[in-house]
Amino acid sequence: MIRLLFFLLSMSMVHLIFAGDTYDVLRSKGEGFSLVVPNKKLVFPRDHLTHPKYRIEWWYLTANLTDKTGREWGAHWTLFRQAINSKGQAEGWVSNQLWMAHAALSTPDGFIYNERFARGGIGQAGVDLNAKGSQFSAWLDDWLWLGNESAPLPGELVFNVKDYRVRLSMKVNTPWVLNGIKGYSAKSDQGQASYYYSQPHISITGEVKHGDQSLNVSGQGWMDHEWSSQPLADSQSGWDWFSLHLENGSAVMLYRLRNDNGKHFYSGTWIEQDGRSIALKGSDIRLKILENKPVDIGNNKSKSLPIIWSVQVNKSNERYQWRIEANDSEHWLNTVYPYWEGPIIAHGDISGIGYMEITGR
Amino acid sequence: MEDLKRIGLLFMVMESHYRRHPLQALFLFIGLVTGVTLWVAIQFINEHARASYLEADQFLGAQATHWIKSKDDTGIILKDYIKLRRNGYRQIYPVLEVRLTSADQQPVNLIATDLLALPPIDRGEYRDTNNWQSLTQFPFQAWYPASLAKRLNISTGKQLSLSSGISLPPALIQTRKQQGERIFMDIGAAMTVLNRTSVSYLAVAGLSDEDAISLSRLLPSNLKLMTNEQVLDLSELTQSLHTHLNAMSLLSFAVGFFIVFNAVHFSLRIRTQTLTILQEIGVSVRSITLAIAVETLLLSLLGTGFGLILGYALGQALLPVVASTLQNLYGAVLDHHLILQPIVIFKAWSLTLLGLVLALAWPLWSRTRQTILKQRELIVEKSEDRKILKRFTLIAFGLAILAMLMYPSLSTVTQWFVMLALMLFSAAFILPVLLALSLSALQALLPEKSWRLRWALSDGWAQLPGIRIALMALLLTLTANVGVDTLVGSFRIALTDYLQQRMSADVYVQTKNLNLQKLLQSPGLENHHLRYLVTFRWKKRKTLIRGMNTQAPDMLVLPIAESDPEGLESWYGNTDGVILANEQAQHLSGIKLGDHVEFDTPTGLHSFKVVGFYYDYGNSTYEFYLPFDRVKQYWPKAELQPHIAVWLKEEVDPESILLDAGAQPGDWLYSNDILQVSLSIFNRTFAITAAMNVLTLAVAGIALFASLLAIHQQRLPEYAHWRSMGLKQREWLGLIVLPLGVCVLITWGLSIPLGSLMSILMIEDLNVISFGWTMPIEWRWEPAAHLLIITTGIVILTLVISLTQVRFRLPQALKQLGGDNG
Repeated sequence: MIRLLFFLLSMSMVHLIFAGDTYDVLRSKGEGFSLVVPNKKLVFPRDHLTHPKYRIEWWYLTANLTDKTGREWGAHWTLFRQAINSKGQAEGWVSNQLWMAHAALSTPDGFIYNERFARGGIGQAGVDLNAKGSQFSAWLDDWLWLGNESAPLPGELVFNVKDYRVRLSMKVNTPWVLNGIKGYSAKSDQGQASYYYSQPHISITGEVKHGDQSLNVSGQGWMDHEWSSQPLADSQSGWDWFSLHLENGSAVMLYRLRNDNGKHFYSGTWIEQDGRSIALKGSDIRLKILENKPVDIGNNKSKSLPIIWSVQVNKSNERYQWRIEANDSEHWLNTVYPYWEGPIIAHGDISGIGYMEITGR
Repeated sequence: MEDLKRIGLLFMVMESHYRRHPLQALFLFIGLVTGVTLWVAIQFINEHARASYLEADQFLGAQATHWIKSKDDTGIILKDYIKLRRNGYRQIYPVLEVRLTSADQQPVNLIATDLLALPPIDRGEYRDTNNWQSLTQFPFQAWYPASLAKRLNISTGKQLSLSSGISLPPALIQTRKQQGERIFMDIGAAMTVLNRTSVSYLAVAGLSDEDAISLSRLLPSNLKLMTNEQVLDLSELTQSLHTHLNAMSLLSFAVGFFIVFNAVHFSLRIRTQTLTILQEIGVSVRSITLAIAVETLLLSLLGTGFGLILGYALGQALLPVVASTLQNLYGAVLDHHLILQPIVIFKAWSLTLLGLVLALAWPLWSRTRQTILKQRELIVEKSEDRKILKRFTLIAFGLAILAMLMYPSLSTVTQWFVMLALMLFSAAFILPVLLALSLSALQALLPEKSWRLRWALSDGWAQLPGIRIALMALLLTLTANVGVDTLVGSFRIALTDYLQQRMSADVYVQTKNLNLQKLLQSPGLENHHLRYLVTFRWKKRKTLIRGMNTQAPDMLVLPIAESDPEGLESWYGNTDGVILANEQAQHLSGIKLGDHVEFDTPTGLHSFKVVGFYYDYGNSTYEFYLPFDRVKQYWPKAELQPHIAVWLKEEVDPESILLDAGAQPGDWLYSNDILQVSLSIFNRTFAITAAMNVLTLAVAGIALFASLLAIHQQRLPEYAHWRSMGLKQREWLGLIVLPLGVCVLITWGLSIPLGSLMSILMIEDLNVISFGWTMPIEWRWEPAAHLLIITTGIVILTLVISLTQVRFRLPQALKQLGGDNG
């Protein structure tokens, strides 16, 4: 999954927050940081934790939920880590690590979100195991993802968005899915890549509290963990990312990195119901925009975004086709790093639901 | 419409006077603008300060409605801060606030926080903070306001060396909101550079009552949640200082309008002719009155406009000095950018208009009200000086009587300043009378043969009407200068003596790293003083109770202002129920010797008899001393102060004994260093009075200059006459300078007793009700001598300029005298 990686790389959290638009970082070579190379074996639980020598990393959850009356809800929660330089120390008051978290909730009435920041090294935010090494946790202030054991899943996530308090219990029955080639996920033809693994089959039950009201919700979730130091290729300007939970129990993740020269980079993973996965090549994926819609991006401005897509995937000798549409086009996060992220519905050969992310210029 | 046209024409006729006499117009304008400028500057600062106090519940752009502090003042460790954040109190952020001393013994305040932890603020704020990496990563950055950088001689990239040997990170001349006269750093960088292990306190932004209760429950036992009451405290505490500044600016305004009045006075003779002619040709008094009103209105707008521009610039220049005063005295933080408040603009215009009505419109209008015959008489009658002097005498006595009537019932700072103003103006109005009498007396004393001297003195009569207003202005400023200089000088001496007495220990040590038992058992230790501290609010003010060891060396020489000897003895004997109070508590809360004060203690309501008052300069809070054990008796949870005063045996090396007891370098301060830093703070605190003195003196200098120039211009034909009669230039100079010198000397001489009287009133009364401090008056010759030198300098400078002007124009005047128009 590329998701916010390049977006953040391109805008480099610190530089965007503190110095405005710095797309130049997009072209930097990640010198001094550890680089993503093929054939590196991912080891758990170690690799569930932080990789401070890599420039950027995140833990990402999206969830398609319904309440007892059948109304649809959506949730996404992300914890981002960034090393602001390659030489500083990771721990203590002068840590070179910086944290950011986003939480968003699609309610039956609309869309709300929050963002948070924290400096690293002092315990205000982080991803770690407890002293005994038996329990995973990821947090920023009181937003907390607590694994039942040393992995993030199964586990529990607690966060609030504005005056909504969300508690999600997450269970899994399938193994982690290593995207790309054993977790080495290419992002361009010129060597840009990340380490990327997912858990697409998360069964969620939970509770959303709003004032005196408390609602039970349940549904399916998708978790990603990804880290890298490498930038986008010079001509890559943004990306479109999709995750789908299909009715037959399979799941699919697709993305395209948009290239200014029109030669976009496509990749994805097909995951069977039992967790077995098949890497999708660029030639296996066809994405076509069917309709752009103006989306409110705040400050009385709107932006035309591709909200309805035609998607075609070739898996082995099978071909699948969907018409993918956002449940609600108004899902723009006007955060320090603005982007669109929201629940989608897929009509086609095997229908499904999932999440879409659109970033970049 | 016809009326308007008529008024317009009339106005143009009247304003033609200024076109024909540009110098008079210039001086009128100078007087107007200088008067308004200083007043406006101070108003801007005062309003800005008041606006800043209202923001005292904010911190570096974020809200700070509460503080979390450690009970023993030792700071807050990281673990406690993070625990609160992880419990959802995201409105809490850490602050490190320290007072440092530079290598050259200058006091420097540093403030540090975690910008990322500040409560959610406008995202623009994030973008303003343009270099997180430079701020948080080695070699870090220290942000200095420009004024502070200038004071410390720091430029971008330079590092400030501290007395502890530490160097602060490279400087960046940049400020954040509410930074004030402080260095700003990232808290992580500051903790690392200053080698700190705990933050000073936690600030809390916005907390409901319910949240405050649950937060208090969550706090570890060594921490306490406090409401930030700085908004209330600052508004009350600083009121006196702002009244002082107001008074100084009003004085300057008055002096400025003396210049206006002077210029009008010079123009009046010529303008009366115009008014007479206008009335003779049938222009109604109503129309002339309207034209005068238009002139007054236009001048007021012009004066206000220029005064506002210059006043804003001056205010901006003075702001760091005032900010420093407020920070040192009250801990108030002022931003470095003045805001143009509409109320100041309106006040400035109103006051200017009022001043112009009195100084310009009223004299002009009163001329129009006289009969034409009377006006003609006035033109013919060269001098009505005697009448004027009589009027001045009456005004002077009237003002003096008013001042005397007010004196017994004065209770507020404002009333005191009104009384002082009455006194000063009374003296100013009597000055021309004194000068006239002195000239007469001197003339009478001179022998017949000293004709040159007699001529010179009689020339004084010709000069006097022209310069008396300027001399009145000079007297006002010299008196204010002598008064304020004496006050500040007395305070400086009192403070130095007080500090030397109070700081009698060899060294003051922070106890956080100290093995106290080891230090107390050290054979090199001669004595020590460890104290309790309890803080609460009493009579709506922050109040401290200190538990003192009554037998500690510094207590045995406690500077007592007033006491009941028996009661004091019982206090020293640790008797229950007796208490000492500082002077602030005495004078500002109104308690008297023998009174009982009641405090709501954890053990119930207790009453203590006040048996003495001690000097406590520089403190803005009420404070009481109880014997050490009594504090523990009434406040069982009272915490020891985190500092200990230590007296060592002569042969002992303080450093080795302290290091041996666990103290770390930087944990202790020598009393001499504290004294130096305290005096340095004093100097910065009173820099504003020095600045105001210089500025008012400058305005008076302008007044004198304007008068002399006008006199010489007016007397040019007379001078031409003298020269044509064969008077040498040196003789002519003597004639002009001698009477002027006599007048200035008398003015200066009069300012000394007057200034001294003013300083007595300020020290004995005004100062007491303003700050609650009393001190002995220390009169010195130096300020008066200094002022004489400055005044002489001003006189010489203005004489040189005005006489050069005369010399330049004299040939033309001589030509005119000889009837040569070619």
